[in-house]
Amino acid sequence: MKKNETAPVSDKVLLYLKLTKIMKLTSALLLFACLQVSATGWSQEKITLKMTAAEIKKVLFAIESKSDYRFLFTEEMIKGKPRVNVDVVQASVSEVLDKVLLNTGISYKVLGTNLVVLKDGVAAAEISMEAIRVSGKITGASGEAIAGVSILVKGTNIGTTTNTEGVFTITVPDANAKLVITSLGFETQEIALAGRSTLNLTLVPAYTTLDQVVVVGYGTQKKRDLTGSITTVKGDDVAKMPNTNPISSLQGRVAGLTVANSGVAGASPVVRIRGVNSTNSASPVYVVDGVLQDNIDFLNPADIETIDVLRDPSSIAIYGLRGANGVIAVTSKKAARGQTKINFQSSIGVQSVTDKIAVTDAAGFKKLYAAQLANLNAAPFDFTNYTANTNWQNEILRSALISTNNLSISNSGDKSSTYLSVGYNKQDGVVKYDSYEKYMFRLNQEVRFNNKIKVGGEVNAFHWIQNPSGVSLTNALWAAPIVPIQVDANTYYSMPSFQRAQVGNPIATLNRNRGTSINKGFRFIGTMYAEVKFLQNFTFKSTVYADLGFNNARSYTPLPYYFVNLGEGAAPTTTTYDNTIRTSVTQEQAEYKRFQQDHTLTFDKALGGGHKITALAGFTSIYSESTYINGNRRDTTVNVPNNPDFWYISTINSNNPGNFGGGGGKSSLMGLFGRVNYAYNNKYLVNATIRRDGSSKFAPQNRWGTFGSVGLGWVASEESFIKDVKAIDYLKFRASWGQTGNANGFADNLYKPGISNASTAIFGNNVYTAIQAAYIPDPNLHWEVVTGTDIGIDFKTLHNRLSAEITYYNRKTTDILTAVSLPNETRSYFTNLGSITNKGIEVSFTWSDQVGKDFSYSVSPNFSYNKNVVNSIGDNTNFQLIGNGGANLTETGKSIGYFYGYRQIGIYQSTAELGKQPRFTNSLPGDIAYADVNGDGVLSPADRTYLGTPFPPYSYGLNISAAYKGFDILLEGQGVAGNKIYTQRRIANFATLNYESNRLNAWTGGGTTNVEPILDNTRGNNFLFSSYFLEPGDYFRIRTVQIGYTFAANALSKVGISKARIYISGQNIKSWSKVTGYSPEAQIGSILGGGADNGVYPVPAVYSFGLNVTF
Amino acid sequence: MKLVNIFKTGMAKTMLVLALATAFTGCKKFLDTARQGGYDEENYPYPGGSGPYDQYIFGAYNSLRDYNVHVDGFINATSIRSDDADKGSTPSDGGADVISMDNFPVLPSSGRANALWTGYYGLINKCNSTLYQIGTNTNIVTTDAIKVQSQAEVRFIRGYAYFMLTRFFGRVPIIDTLFADPAVQNNVPQSTTAQLYSFIEKDLTFAAANLPSSWDASKFAGRITSGAANGMLAKVYLTQKKWAAAMGAASLVMNSGQYDLSTPYATIFSEEGENSKESIFEVQGRADANNPTAQGIQYASLQGVRGAGAWDLGWGWNTPSTALEAAYEPNDPRKARTILYTSTATTPGLTIYGEVTPVGLPNPRYNNKVYTNPSIRATVGNRQGWWMNVRILRYADVVLMYAEAANEVGGTANITAAGNALNLVRKRARGSNAAILPDVTTTDQAVLRDAIRKERRVELAMEHDRFFDLVRWGVAQATLNAAGKTNFLDSRDVLLPIPQTQIDLSKGVLTQNAGY
Repeated sequence: MKKNETAPVSDKVLLYLKLTKIMKLTSALLLFACLQVSATGWSQEKITLKMTAAEIKKVLFAIESKSDYRFLFTEEMIKGKPRVNVDVVQASVSEVLDKVLLNTGISYKVLGTNLVVLKDGVAAAEISMEAIRVSGKITGASGEAIAGVSILVKGTNIGTTTNTEGVFTITVPDANAKLVITSLGFETQEIALAGRSTLNLTLVPAYTTLDQVVVVGYGTQKKRDLTGSITTVKGDDVAKMPNTNPISSLQGRVAGLTVANSGVAGASPVVRIRGVNSTNSASPVYVVDGVLQDNIDFLNPADIETIDVLRDPSSIAIYGLRGANGVIAVTSKKAARGQTKINFQSSIGVQSVTDKIAVTDAAGFKKLYAAQLANLNAAPFDFTNYTANTNWQNEILRSALISTNNLSISNSGDKSSTYLSVGYNKQDGVVKYDSYEKYMFRLNQEVRFNNKIKVGGEVNAFHWIQNPSGVSLTNALWAAPIVPIQVDANTYYSMPSFQRAQVGNPIATLNRNRGTSINKGFRFIGTMYAEVKFLQNFTFKSTVYADLGFNNARSYTPLPYYFVNLGEGAAPTTTTYDNTIRTSVTQEQAEYKRFQQDHTLTFDKALGGGHKITALAGFTSIYSESTYINGNRRDTTVNVPNNPDFWYISTINSNNPGNFGGGGGKSSLMGLFGRVNYAYNNKYLVNATIRRDGSSKFAPQNRWGTFGSVGLGWVASEESFIKDVKAIDYLKFRASWGQTGNANGFADNLYKPGISNASTAIFGNNVYTAIQAAYIPDPNLHWEVVTGTDIGIDFKTLHNRLSAEITYYNRKTTDILTAVSLPNETRSYFTNLGSITNKGIEVSFTWSDQVGKDFSYSVSPNFSYNKNVVNSIGDNTNFQLIGNGGANLTETGKSIGYFYGYRQIGIYQSTAELGKQPRFTNSLPGDIAYADVNGDGVLSPADRTYLGTPFPPYSYGLNISAAYKGFDILLEGQGVAGNKIYTQRRIANFATLNYESNRLNAWTGGGTTNVEPILDNTRGNNFLFSSYFLEPGDYFRIRTVQIGYTFAANALSKVGISKARIYISGQNIKSWSKVTGYSPEAQIGSILGGGADNGVYPVPAVYSFGLNVTF
Repeated sequence: MKLVNIFKTGMAKTMLVLALATAFTGCKKFLDTARQGGYDEENYPYPGGSGPYDQYIFGAYNSLRDYNVHVDGFINATSIRSDDADKGSTPSDGGADVISMDNFPVLPSSGRANALWTGYYGLINKCNSTLYQIGTNTNIVTTDAIKVQSQAEVRFIRGYAYFMLTRFFGRVPIIDTLFADPAVQNNVPQSTTAQLYSFIEKDLTFAAANLPSSWDASKFAGRITSGAANGMLAKVYLTQKKWAAAMGAASLVMNSGQYDLSTPYATIFSEEGENSKESIFEVQGRADANNPTAQGIQYASLQGVRGAGAWDLGWGWNTPSTALEAAYEPNDPRKARTILYTSTATTPGLTIYGEVTPVGLPNPRYNNKVYTNPSIRATVGNRQGWWMNVRILRYADVVLMYAEAANEVGGTANITAAGNALNLVRKRARGSNAAILPDVTTTDQAVLRDAIRKERRVELAMEHDRFFDLVRWGVAQATLNAAGKTNFLDSRDVLLPIPQTQIDLSKGVLTQNAGY
């Protein structure tokens, strides 16, 4: 190790020694840097040195810079010692030291070659050098070697670190010395040697996360120095879940983070952070190693090091532009220093639908349809030929495989590190023939020229293949169960006349569309950066990113099947074939490009006297562009075969009919930002951010906005009056305030009038292009502004076993960018409108403990509550925002998009009862009786009222893990409460559809039911949106049960395996809820019209087996 | 160490400042991203020549084909509500929303009432935006004469849209301009029916005065003419019982020389009868193999025969009622051209193209006036008839309006003229068969009134005027109740409810009609 490299390191470290009580990491670094060599004796090196009235420390540095000697001491030791004069020429180091330390009370001893230990108030002889050598191996809970563990002899500065095999050797002053063993991420242990010369030790993972480094945007910070709310989820916790999308695995883990999963193969979940802030987009932004993204579908879950969820204004302010709905920052895995590792992970599982929707079978259907026709006074239906009893749901659902596989290789030396990974995931959907595959490749490389300059880059390649299901779940729910499936491969039964036009035979649809759509996508994300450190405290970093996506799709419309129409009454059974349908092919291609550049200058300095400052200034820009084209052509004379080799437009003669389309988009963003983090004595923390953002979405005069934030933290446990309170291990109060601009999810160019020329006028057989205003422009469109306040407390107690974070937040969005529906107007109008407040509390607890040598466990519950209020929907306007046909209403004083309708109080049982109750003029017995909310004695639209919110105000999660010897177990549960789900699939009455089982209890006369109205779809009052169609959305679900076993390291090392874990896992295996749909997960994707269940794709239970091997 | 020196000398600082300065000058350009693959109002290459506003006007024509203008809600509210037609299809098809159009009351929650509201206002907004372009767009340079004619064309469409809205809803807000603050549009209160008619008359009168009487048929068949404006005006006057004005407007059409009754009744409704001498205002649609639906209108599709396979021609809605069946005089050939019969075990139902309809279809009768030519179905590769034009106003209607108005004005000369006009229509219907549909010879005003009303019903059966006729004649409740639509109340059902959605959106500025 060259001396000019190590000198600044030890300088910095010494300052840390003074600044921090806990110095595990730094001392480890120090020891690692200095104690590589172990031999005894002075070298004969001579130095020349002249210094006047110098601090002892300075003199020691000077000696270090002129010789190979290194000194071990603490600041406290030399604090207050007199300054010294040195003037020596060609003197040995021992001579110099003798002179310098004369009268200081400090003695020294040479421990190994060139290593000098200083000790205050102790005679040199007492610096014991009995040369007792102790060696051993440090391993983790699962037996893996841990490198870089610091081993320090208590009360001295004698120490060493473990090598890559986890082995260490140390010379201790006496046989009863105590060793302090420290490693990042593990509990610090003190072990009395008690005469032992071998010490093998298993480290216990530290549940203290204070030293954890979290991503704060253009930099990292220690968790303990944060003033905001950031929660970190470890990549390993994500990777061990057999999900193809990493975000799915965050469900229930982070207070304030709502994840609603979809079971669709490969689908991204809907994610909300702290409720819904805006009416146009409420999705957070993802930041993957600095690149802003809308999703992280391209990431291999196994490549994730950590995911940080940034929720409060002071944390998100630095992301400006896009961060207003919260930020999910992903740090990918890189090779650790000194590491050479090959890791293979694989899991395979089976998915199945646990909760099907209860619909009537053939007998039930016949009974109900007959009753309905009787109620309509219509002729009975002739069921003679309809003898089947088909369960269409069972026919289209299946048990489906899911598998994830990943291989990574990491290698790192002094000069460079490399991380290479290959992943392959495949998920078959539980709805037949739905499938998704993804291939992921990643190469990350960093080259360090010296400790001042490094350059690096990363390439991600992602390829996906998706085959959507050809049939919809509602089709299977709605199809009458009385129809048989098929006669043969080409002949199917059509639905009865009462639904033939609206509902197709689900299996015919499924089979006809099977494999007729080939969707593929490619995505390449490349990063290059260079970082230069200069003047000791400055770092300049430039990064450029490119994100290129290419999607293409080909699809085919095959010939139809023959259909048997079973005879009904006078109509005989016939077989029909639709000869107007000919084959056609479609091709689509899309291209997405995004370029981002970030340039930051960071100043990081401990100013002495306990002041520490980190300042950052930067510039960023994002430019994105997209194009797409599509086309299709239809056969008229011959038919294209059902073979993908032919599914190109060129297959069909160009004189055949076809349609072609194309388009594109462009947008850009730019930002300048600055941030200062200041800490005094690790006690008082300040974080201030300012950012100026420009967006091409707004007119030039409204383009720029300035936003910023301030965060304050007080680590009370560092105060002397609390330091000694045994019960408090850590206590921090934090508060932050900030503003961020937002234009997420808002289309470009809406500020200027656009023209749509998609329409035509027809005169006779002539076609003329027509134009019209595409929308109503608002030239004054400007930034939506999110202003938030956060107040929180973090503490640890009971010997760090219990830790808690409690945060209160209040976030208000003003000038919301909204698409407004105007009455008397069909065009959209986009404008800034009104404000919304989200207030809430987030609470997370973790209890972790080690019982005995072999058993450890932890329990982490979290809870969050969010209250959403619309403060106004525009100052100068007088109208309401309605969603989903009026079922949802957004108005001042209520929560966004709440359910608005009539409240059912029963069923009118008789004409006599009808006369006594408030009713509509056309109400009849058997109809739903609604509450007369305004008490005027009659029912009218004025009686509609608040019926609940589609967005869960309460959400909670529980994570329990335990380990015993090689076994580990994980139990995760998650739930929401307080929301309602709208069973919109039941309100459909455009035809006679299969009934859900609740209709078996329909009203058939006085006293039969007070819940289910009469079977009569002409009674429009019963289809008004009301509480009849709402069900409580509360649920609790066992998200994960996982049992793993890690093989003892020594058993595997012979075959070259350093670690191996196998596990079995069950996901979503049980839910408790009153929801009748496939999934109780609230449909929160739509903001103004949320909560509707239209046959939501099931989130299946997954049973899987997995393997994780490291070589 | 060199690096450090560079920074110490300040060179690096200078470089940094320079780099940032370059970045800032690039900012403005960087953030100016033009719309891709589309036009802004200011950079649209407006064509020169005779009709630079045409493309805006054509946008309104496009909307005439909208589902919410002349398809679902339109068929329901104008025909299924009347005694000419039933909902059709299977008993539960369409649900409460359509069934309530058949037998009342239509609820304020009705999706179809709301669709009509948004559909016609969509049309009106396109007209207003065209008028705004004519008034303000400096990118378009043309003569005043063309400006006036262009205004006239969209004012016809706007007047027509308000006429429909007024007949549907009674009271609607008059929106005749673009608002600087679009949100203001939400809170325009409803005008009275009288105010609306006065507004409609102004638009149509202006249109009648400034539109050409005909267009080059090879290019603009079916484009709006002064005849269309006068014909529509006649109907507006008739609706208000302004008999003399109606008579005047109708006679302007009859004397224009553009129209006659030469087209055989059987031909008028087929594809070959489109834009004939009979046609005054006809919503245009077309289709070919490339565009089976995009350039057409779904009008015929909702009413097509509801069969399977090759007989799946549509939804089977709006089926001729038994009351209509009974309304024809013996052997009136118009009956067969209006009602398409489903075959029974004993009697085959024949189409005008000679095909035999299937046995056991869900309905015994279908609307024969929308029956499409099977050879066109084959050519287009679609059975649903999107190419079928919608006959909104045809010459026989104007002649019968003239007859009705003249009879009501009274006096021997007028009553005679009324009878003559009536007989012109009967003569055409009679064709060469002298044994049927004899001339009406009465000069008794009341008898003639009945005869004209009966003639109007059968001549214009399934043509979307019957319900409005019953309402304006004041016989709606009696007639509809007798026809089995027993829930109908004059006090409520002559108007559709103001859609609750619109009341909600306006936050209560719009108010509900009486009885709902």
